[in-house]
Amino acid sequence: MSKENKTVTINIDDQILEVEKGLTILRAAEQNNIYIPALCSHKNLTPFGGCRMCIVEVEGMSGFPTACTTPVEEGMVIKTHTAQVQASRVEILQLILSEHTSSCLICEEKDECKEYMGTIRKAGVTTGCRYCPKDGQCELQDLVEKLGVKEINYPIYYRNLRVEKDDPFYDRDYNLCILCGRCIRVCQEIRIANTLAFKQRGPKTVVGPAYDRTHIDAGCEFCGACVSVCPTGALSEKVSKWEGKAEREELTTCPLCGVGCQIRLLIKKNEIIGSLPAEDPLVNNGQLCVKGRFCVAELVNNYQRLRKPYKTQNGTKVEIFLEEAVELSAEKLSACSPEQFGMLVSPNCSNEDLYIAQKFARVAVGSHNIDTTARTFYGTGFNAFLNLMRMAVPLSDVLKASIILCIGLDTRFGRSVVGVELRKAVERGAKIITINPRHHNLTMIAEKEFQPVPKMEVNLLNSLVMLTEKKKTPTSQFRSKRTTGSLSGELSTVAKMLKEASAPVFLVGSEFLQYDESPQILEAVEKLARNVSAGILPLPVQNNLFGSVLMGVYPEFLPGGFSSTGKERIDNLRKRWSADVPNFSSQWNAETLSSGSRMKVLYFIGEVPPNSRPPSDFLIFQNIYPPDISYEPDLVIPSAAFTEMDGTFINGEGRIQRVRKAVDPPGEALPDWEILCRIAQKMGIKGFDFSNAREIYEEISSLIKGFGDFDNTKRKANPMICEGELNIPETRPSRTKKADKKFPFLLSVSVGEHTYRGFPLSTWVEGLKKLFTEGIIDINPEDARKTGISRSDEVIVTSAYFEKIWSANILSEQTQGTLHVTLPQGESIGNNPHPVKIRKKDV
Amino acid sequence: MTNKDYIDIFSRFNGEEGDLIPLLQEIQEKFGYISEEAIKNISRFLKISENQIFGVASFYSQFKFIESGKYTIKVCMGTACHVRGSLNILDEFRRNLHVEADETTDDKLFTLETVNCVGACALGPIVIFSGDYHGQMKIKIVRELLEKYKSKNEKESETAV
Ligand code: SF4
Ligand code: SF4
Ligand code: SF4
Ligand code: FES
Repeated sequence: MSKENKTVTINIDDQILEVEKGLTILRAAEQNNIYIPALCSHKNLTPFGGCRMCIVEVEGMSGFPTACTTPVEEGMVIKTHTAQVQASRVEILQLILSEHTSSCLICEEKDECKEYMGTIRKAGVTTGCRYCPKDGQCELQDLVEKLGVKEINYPIYYRNLRVEKDDPFYDRDYNLCILCGRCIRVCQEIRIANTLAFKQRGPKTVVGPAYDRTHIDAGCEFCGACVSVCPTGALSEKVSKWEGKAEREELTTCPLCGVGCQIRLLIKKNEIIGSLPAEDPLVNNGQLCVKGRFCVAELVNNYQRLRKPYKTQNGTKVEIFLEEAVELSAEKLSACSPEQFGMLVSPNCSNEDLYIAQKFARVAVGSHNIDTTARTFYGTGFNAFLNLMRMAVPLSDVLKASIILCIGLDTRFGRSVVGVELRKAVERGAKIITINPRHHNLTMIAEKEFQPVPKMEVNLLNSLVMLTEKKKTPTSQFRSKRTTGSLSGELSTVAKMLKEASAPVFLVGSEFLQYDESPQILEAVEKLARNVSAGILPLPVQNNLFGSVLMGVYPEFLPGGFSSTGKERIDNLRKRWSADVPNFSSQWNAETLSSGSRMKVLYFIGEVPPNSRPPSDFLIFQNIYPPDISYEPDLVIPSAAFTEMDGTFINGEGRIQRVRKAVDPPGEALPDWEILCRIAQKMGIKGFDFSNAREIYEEISSLIKGFGDFDNTKRKANPMICEGELNIPETRPSRTKKADKKFPFLLSVSVGEHTYRGFPLSTWVEGLKKLFTEGIIDINPEDARKTGISRSDEVIVTSAYFEKIWSANILSEQTQGTLHVTLPQGESIGNNPHPVKIRKKDV
Repeated sequence: MTNKDYIDIFSRFNGEEGDLIPLLQEIQEKFGYISEEAIKNISRFLKISENQIFGVASFYSQFKFIESGKYTIKVCMGTACHVRGSLNILDEFRRNLHVEADETTDDKLFTLETVNCVGACALGPIVIFSGDYHGQMKIKIVRELLEKYKSKNEKESETAV
């Protein structure tokens, strides 16, 4: 294509410019550093043309066109700042301000107010006016400044709308809203939520969900995208509402799931006041989910953070110095035999922490007894899940795919940036197919949806496997037996779509992971992917699950993901570490924690395994928060949170990403690796004299391929490499009973997956208590009617093995005859799904 | 309104975005108003969020979101009627019925609405009570009218039994 076809020549304010064809006047001006005032326009959103601040004069065009909606044309002559244009802008801005609280904008005292607060008022203190949380960061304020508006010549009208504070995380004061529509556009164009719309019209126009629903009820993702784009103080984050402007920022990686979004920590003094998405082209493209956007500050600032170590002496807590804690640990560990030692370390820890932890176990204690609770989370499906991670493709493949199969995936609260990518893919013409026994947020964009009854997922997937088999297999008896007419037709259609698709991608969420049949489900997914040459991206719940395998924090895995049973591998480590490493002989792991024999020393780093204290003589609990009292740890050591340390994580796609220290840890808290190194040194063990995360990273990169420069980690997506398997006894063969007369409902259970360092996030982040509800049982309306149960009733759920009481939620998307509940990690009901009966608790 | 009603209506559309307004019109015509259930069903059918549908529907004054009562009372709020005190008439209805404009009484008998000019300004203030025009309305007539329709309703329901 010749150059002339792609660009046009225009004249803005007497500058001759060559600009890309198809740009709007506003974008063309911006690219050439010519300022045109604008309010409703936003670089990531479609033009709206609502505020009229951007009016310009264009030769040959009548009136004043808006620069944000008018495309450039060859030979256009544009004037951006004629006297008439400026005068109109001032007038328009005054009109906008006539419906907007404006003391912060045009008060005579405003300049002095901030510093001296001199205005006389009735209160006995000088307070100054703080009407609006956006003070100092408001785009309206900027414009008033730039256009020199000093007074408002229109009658002031206050809309007197109720300030909406009912939802978690952000407040809405639509008295400050200028109806620019940015929030609506970001919610409709970028997110899947579509929570916001203009309602009514004319002077009654307001922004919000249908009727007067709360955002929770309207399907909001609480992604905060609307808060970020609002030019005024109408939308404001609850926790940082009055914090004002950040003093500095630090780029880091979110540790709250395996997507690994890049976030900007907002910092004031030595405190995190908030977090915003980075415009990172590889992972999250300027978007975050509720966890990364709204939970970080509250999580790391909670007043209950551990600051000083303490030991328990005769049942009472005694605060000690870190030095004493290190001595005490060294003493106990030196006296502990390898088989009587066990360490659990969190897959939320950095690679450097994990690497040091396993080196500590293997060299300082001489034991392979190190594990993570990921083993209990994935259970019998763990190996199958790791197999999928070995095939992982980058998230960006979603954008290239013509068909995306989402298995057990929901992106409303967790992983919502994946939802954003899906939406983009759909816009581009891709088709989404979902398989999920439960309701989920992809319904709006799905082309085909399958909602199998629990226990039928394997059949459904296996049918697809068979239908996509390259070699023609004779009709399977099971397909004809199990699937009814229309379903089998649908399945054939989907099989055909998958076979014909170019580069299909499968995304695997966490809905099935706790089911008895999860290994079979995940295996079927793998087979199906092979049949249709699809890329798979499993989306791990734990942010550094990948790192935990690669660093070797499992008895079965050595650094590099090598199998511990390999003699040569161990010899190699001995050489590299110049230390003795025992041959593999571990019987211990996270599953045997409570059932196994009594241990001499148990060491939990960022892990809080459920069911209180496992049998042990000495329990060291190292974390950022104190344990539940039922633990009665002998020693508690405070760790640094991810905002207080340097290091790296590896996300689900296999990208090595940096974690950067933004603030100092509280009190005597230190990064986990540093505490471990101090203990090892105290024990007189060599090979632990690291003084920073970089040195550890360098040792890792000398052992494992793909780890480059610490300051410039390549962040390339790489499928996981690990040899061997985890030792997971197939103790739970799939023998789930069907529902019968006595227990007519099939109850499925998922486990609360939103945790950080072993604690449910909702323990420390208030707003999440409303979003991540546990112990609430979903019931189909028809079933509820038959059993006389209504919303919020207490329901007694009985099976042959247990009786529980949960609170009812009536949900039309729950399939009839099935029930669902989310439970905290560690609480189990045995078989899953499980036949049960229900009745309302008598009051 | 049953599921079948919706299936009937939806079967006449392709499920495209442009179907939204005709669909809303048809549902309103058939059922008199747009219920929450209707919005939910349209949302599933067209794959447009309930919030967006409500946004669009509430832009047009022709769509109602409440079930209409047996008798609809329209109070004209046009300029001429306004000047002649239609606000007082409206207030009197609100006081007597215990509802606001665009609401229906609990017994589902009356729906109170406002309209903007019905083109009979000379007769203002105007009230259209169940289709009948009442010009030069007075506050004291409000109660008389309400009583009249209440007893009318009672008689009708007696004969119905
Ligand atoms: S938080 Fe996100 S999903 Fe909710 S209204 Fe704002 S943009 Fe929409
Ligand atoms: S809330 Fe903010 S972003 Fe949304 S329309 Fe109002 S001013 Fe614009
Ligand atoms: S999607 Fe995952 S990584 Fe991204 S912000 Fe949310 S929790 Fe953090
Ligand atoms: S920025 Fe152009 S109309 Fe608002």
